[in-house]
Amino acid sequence: MGRPLALGALLLTALVCVPAAGASTPRVASSSPGTTLVAVRAGTIYCVEENRVLEGGAVILIEDGKIIALGEGLAIPPHAELVDYGPDAVIVPGLVAPFSSYAIGRSSRYSASPGTLAVDNFDPYEDFVGGLSGGVTSAYITPSESRLISGVGALVKLAGKNAAERIVNPRAALHVSVDALARNAPGFWDPPLPATAETEMGYSKPQLPATAMGAIVALTELVDGVRAKKPMDPVLAAEYGSNALLDLTPIIEAGTPWRISAVSANEIRAVLRFAARKKLPLILEKGLEAGELAKEIAAAGVPVIFRVPFQPGGAFADRGKGRDANWGRLDVPALLAAEGVRVAIASRHPIDLLFSAGLATRGGLDKADALRAITLTSAELSGAADRVGSLAVGKDADLCVLGDAPFSGFSNVLATWVDGRVAWKAHATLATVIEVEELHVGDGSVLRPGALLIEDGEIVEVGERVSRPRGARIVRGAACMPGIIDAFGHLGLAGSKTVPATDFDLSSIVVPGDRLARRVARHGITTVVLTPRAASTGGAPIMAYKPAADEFESQIVRRLTALRLNWGDKDPLKAGKSVKALLAKAAGYDKKWREYEKAIAGWTPPPLKPTEVESEEEEDKGDAEEEDADKEETKKKSKKSKKKKKKEEEVLEPDPLTGRWVSAIASEDGEELSEGFKMRLRFALGEGSGEVLGNLRCARASGLLVDLQGYWDRDEKTLKLTGLGDRGWLALELALDEDQLTGTLLGIGLELEIAAKRTTKDYVVAERAERRSEEVEKVKAPKGKPKMPRLDPKLEPLRAALKGELAIVVEVNREDAILECVETFESYGIQPVLLGARDVHLVALDIVDRVAGILIKGGVRRALPKRGTDYLTPYGDLQNIGIPVAFHSEAEEGASDLSLVASFAVANGMSPTGALRALTGDAARMMSIEDHVGRLARGLDADVILLDGPPLAPGTSIERIWVDGKEIR
Amino acid sequence: MKAIPTILPSLLLFAGAFATSGTVHATPTPTAGDKLVIEAGRVITLAGEDIMDGVIVIEDGRIVAVGPASEIEKPWDAPTIGGPELVAFPGFIEAHSSRGMDRANENVDVAPYLNIRDSIDPVAFYFEDCLRYGITTVNVQQGPSCVIGAQGMIVRPTGMTVEAMLVRPEYGLKMSVIPKRGKSRATQMQVLRKAFSDLRSYLETLVKKERDQRGLAAREALFQGRELEGEDNEGRAMKSGAWTVDGLDIIPRGAIDEKQAPLLAVVEGRTTVFLHCGAAVDVGHALELARTNGFLTKSVLVIRPECWRAADLIAEAGVPVILEGGLMHTRRDPVTGEEQETFVPLVLADAGIRFALSSQDPTRRSLWYQAALAVGRGLERSAAIQAVTRTPAEILGLGKEVGSLETGKLGNVVLFSGDPLSVTSWVERVIIEGEEVYDRRADLRNKQLLEGRQPAGTQGSVNSSEEDATEESKEDSDEDESEAEEN
Repeated sequence: MGRPLALGALLLTALVCVPAAGASTPRVASSSPGTTLVAVRAGTIYCVEENRVLEGGAVILIEDGKIIALGEGLAIPPHAELVDYGPDAVIVPGLVAPFSSYAIGRSSRYSASPGTLAVDNFDPYEDFVGGLSGGVTSAYITPSESRLISGVGALVKLAGKNAAERIVNPRAALHVSVDALARNAPGFWDPPLPATAETEMGYSKPQLPATAMGAIVALTELVDGVRAKKPMDPVLAAEYGSNALLDLTPIIEAGTPWRISAVSANEIRAVLRFAARKKLPLILEKGLEAGELAKEIAAAGVPVIFRVPFQPGGAFADRGKGRDANWGRLDVPALLAAEGVRVAIASRHPIDLLFSAGLATRGGLDKADALRAITLTSAELSGAADRVGSLAVGKDADLCVLGDAPFSGFSNVLATWVDGRVAWKAHATLATVIEVEELHVGDGSVLRPGALLIEDGEIVEVGERVSRPRGARIVRGAACMPGIIDAFGHLGLAGSKTVPATDFDLSSIVVPGDRLARRVARHGITTVVLTPRAASTGGAPIMAYKPAADEFESQIVRRLTALRLNWGDKDPLKAGKSVKALLAKAAGYDKKWREYEKAIAGWTPPPLKPTEVESEEEEDKGDAEEEDADKEETKKKSKKSKKKKKKEEEVLEPDPLTGRWVSAIASEDGEELSEGFKMRLRFALGEGSGEVLGNLRCARASGLLVDLQGYWDRDEKTLKLTGLGDRGWLALELALDEDQLTGTLLGIGLELEIAAKRTTKDYVVAERAERRSEEVEKVKAPKGKPKMPRLDPKLEPLRAALKGELAIVVEVNREDAILECVETFESYGIQPVLLGARDVHLVALDIVDRVAGILIKGGVRRALPKRGTDYLTPYGDLQNIGIPVAFHSEAEEGASDLSLVASFAVANGMSPTGALRALTGDAARMMSIEDHVGRLARGLDADVILLDGPPLAPGTSIERIWVDGKEIR
Repeated sequence: MKAIPTILPSLLLFAGAFATSGTVHATPTPTAGDKLVIEAGRVITLAGEDIMDGVIVIEDGRIVAVGPASEIEKPWDAPTIGGPELVAFPGFIEAHSSRGMDRANENVDVAPYLNIRDSIDPVAFYFEDCLRYGITTVNVQQGPSCVIGAQGMIVRPTGMTVEAMLVRPEYGLKMSVIPKRGKSRATQMQVLRKAFSDLRSYLETLVKKERDQRGLAAREALFQGRELEGEDNEGRAMKSGAWTVDGLDIIPRGAIDEKQAPLLAVVEGRTTVFLHCGAAVDVGHALELARTNGFLTKSVLVIRPECWRAADLIAEAGVPVILEGGLMHTRRDPVTGEEQETFVPLVLADAGIRFALSSQDPTRRSLWYQAALAVGRGLERSAAIQAVTRTPAEILGLGKEVGSLETGKLGNVVLFSGDPLSVTSWVERVIIEGEEVYDRRADLRNKQLLEGRQPAGTQGSVNSSEEDATEESKEDSDEDESEAEEN
């Protein structure tokens, strides 16, 4: 019972380490402390600068947060720390969001407030994780959006150690807006301090602008005011605040761009005219209707920051029902770019920048231009192109690492680097996505193209395109198919010819991580249906397991999945006799149990001494009446104690079983086993019914907890319990002798003597047997309890087979025997799997739909006796008339040739999809393991073979294999 | 001990006299003459070694002698208090507090012409609590909800009038970088910068007008009812490390608008400025403002715990800080989600920043507890005590007056029943400038709390203080409850 659990733990740790070496997770080649030299490698690097694209594992060398070299095949200095994102990864420059709301706070009271600085609202001690997770490393910030002049915008880094250096350009632009958003500046009122007779209290004054024309007038007034170089006109001061001109003057003198937000065509035209008249450096923002004015904008040489009019993750917005309402178009950047306008693309939130730029590629914007629009162009328009926006020597090492080409449609930012440090990275995920040209499901269907998502060792999604979790490994190939199942093999027997009984636990002979087994698995045989070499008359167990598994938990597919029987038709006189007898015996056994189950379900024991309980209650009442009011307290006390007493009586007297029991186990030889082999039992006796629930735990395999269920015979003081453990059925027959339970434990190939002592009585049961309804009580006279049949572990599997829970494999060869066999099993409602089936081709049409499948020896091509070159190809033929077949090896490591055999079958006329089915899905169904393996379908184990060509073509070889989602080859 | 019989009755008498207001408020206690002798089993001078079995002699409010009982000659005519079971300690100094006022904040953004003097409430519970906790000097400044706030003052927590409480009138000016309600950091900074640019343009205009019309400023001042006499009638050139306005010497100082004059004093470096910072980002803003307007050397940052991340900036600027609102900063890393705890006094000490601890904290009221907490978290005991005594004294310019028990300093002594930082110690007596202002045995409220008795004659007492809800002390609410029960 004791297994080397430590080995399992070791293997487990080894497994945990495996993902670290995965292709998409960074591999640190070498690192020496104290150096700041970092090399970052990825399959493709888009530099954006001069549209350079580096391929084939290019490297970026970073020192002190700056790029010092980049290129293909760059030699990596030995002391540099190497971060390798793998060949699929793509590095683009850290995105530069042309707009963000990170610094938007309360707006100034004045409609023109050039003294409000966005940098004041920026917290350089905060990491803006939202933007970083979207690959954005720098963002334009503005203090407000809802004023004519909201203030001075800046370009800042979203992460970084040095607070001061995070401000890339503190005066990127003057943020101006003439659109509707800016026309809501509230009226303001400065109360005079103190209010005197000369200074009136005043009132709140409305501010310009309420219209686009008002906005243009206000802007013109302000610019003229600055250019006049005179002290501020009191009227203007009242209108825009006393400091408006003072603050605006240095901005105009420095030539800071005016970033004017305009939405509709008339606003854009007005702004273009205003900037041209006043000769101001203009950047158009938002530009929802800029598409139709592309030519004018191009002629004016004005760049545009297009705000994508869709907010991912936001609420649906109604755009206006009027005829003039502009519903926004996504092709504006394409139209502008076509006329030669410099375009940057902005999203409402930086986290969506990459996606929004992808949307803006509609209408034919080149993907390279779209990437430029959210990196270099954006940086240029914010006056920061000397530090960010592209990958070039001397620039800041701001990188956005993608799992795939940009604009592929998947949210695939793996990591974001700011100043040569990882500022954000995707949570490590063990998900794998396999994308292939043809995906063979295993049930005959093929997806072209196909994709597969594996998570936690399970297939989560199958389809032509599947979701792609952030950070998932992406694997591409020509074709994939389910892992191959050896439908009837001996791998793991290690030459043994023992014929075990049906209650033998085959899982005890296979060892996880076995070298030979793994070698077979690397040929694609992910599941082996292990069967002993022969079967006795009582049958032999068949188990399905995974030869590639390296831990106990995932090794066994199904402990007892089928029974092997032998029709014995070599001797016509004895043919089928033993099987028939066995079936009859099993049927009788099954009947007894069914009858018992039915009887026990309807039986209610007589209630427990009901008269006694009632009388006591009456006594209580009587007492209470007798007692004085003064003695209320003592009365309460006595009542309490009485109740307590009653309770004790109820629980203890009729319940000699509930509690915990400990037993030492003596082996079959009577030899006392070591202390560790103590067995712990817990029982709970149901109220009245005699039904017992409990469990059994053996100290040496403490993880092994077997739930027990059975019945307590009050009169005979005997207890019978059964339970299904990991290794098979257990049966306990115990008798109570004073306070000791003695008896036997049967099952899993053991017969043990037990002598258990009760240690506690305080086992509280969550579920108690329900009381039967009174109606049933009337029908069944309380004559006595139905007697439980004796449990026979050897017949239990057959009982399960009769219920249809197990498959039956029966070896039969002669044509008459086949027919007889099928008929016999049919009478018990069983569809057997025929093994051998030499003459099946003679009776094939008679057994269609009556057998679960056929495992033919030498079934690929068989020469007909005395018929020259005329061959039988039973596999193909049987499949064609609708009888499932499966390839099987009846060998140990020979199973590794299964796929070759299947190829050979195809070469001999079997359909390729049929042969694939016989290797996978049909084999699984036949052996009743189809809900674990055999197909590429949602919820099944992720046993997948990746091929470099169509499956079963002679030239196709296996590229990679996953078992339970773990790559083994 | 000898003095007790004489003092106690008078105290009780006094308490009885003020019983209707329900306070045992700090009031000057009549002592014999102007001398007082304090005996203690241990005298923690904070200037050299502790003195075992020591004596402090106070004359005319100042310490004239400190030393072992064997070496000091006690004046024959001075009353003696204390005893061998007590520990003498210099009073704690509250470096910055916005309590003890009718309200902590005014509505107007820029209001340097306001003065705390008019808001201080001498009978506020806060001052009473100060004595219970052994705080003998308090710097009262406006709360942080302002842009440029009022002029503050330093008081002792005793006296029935503001004048009686005075230590330094018109000390310091409050500025806040924390956005006031309705403002963002950007607009807050905008108003701060504008206040100084307004001052500059006001002064320039003033000089220009004066040059055009000699004596105009004086005439206007006179017209406004301000007579210019003495220093006020003299002009003085503007002295500032940052920017100056030429020709200011022709303007009589008294003619400068009272709304602008306090800010001019700031720019000229004549006023200590308490800059309130709520987050690390505020520190940079505050220092920028101080640098551009020349008052960096007169700046004190009042910081909340999260400001520790700007410790390098503070250390570089060399300004002292007052830590308020807790000692621990907890932050969740936005990327990893891990919680990081930082004990701020340690960070400040490591960065070499001069810091004082403040009891301005919604959950605590006492400086000794802040210091004890800091010791518990690994700050050196001497550094922790310094942060509530000597450092605040130096920050407030009272380095020569208070903060230690030395000859020549003010006679502010707290007698503890044990170690000052121990939770089991009581403040037994408080002596401010040689006058005993607190005696625990006569502390009615304390008695009420401990013994659960409503002192006679205090029933139906009105809560005269309108402190913020967060500043309601536990004792107060306890009292309310007991009252409710009685009723």
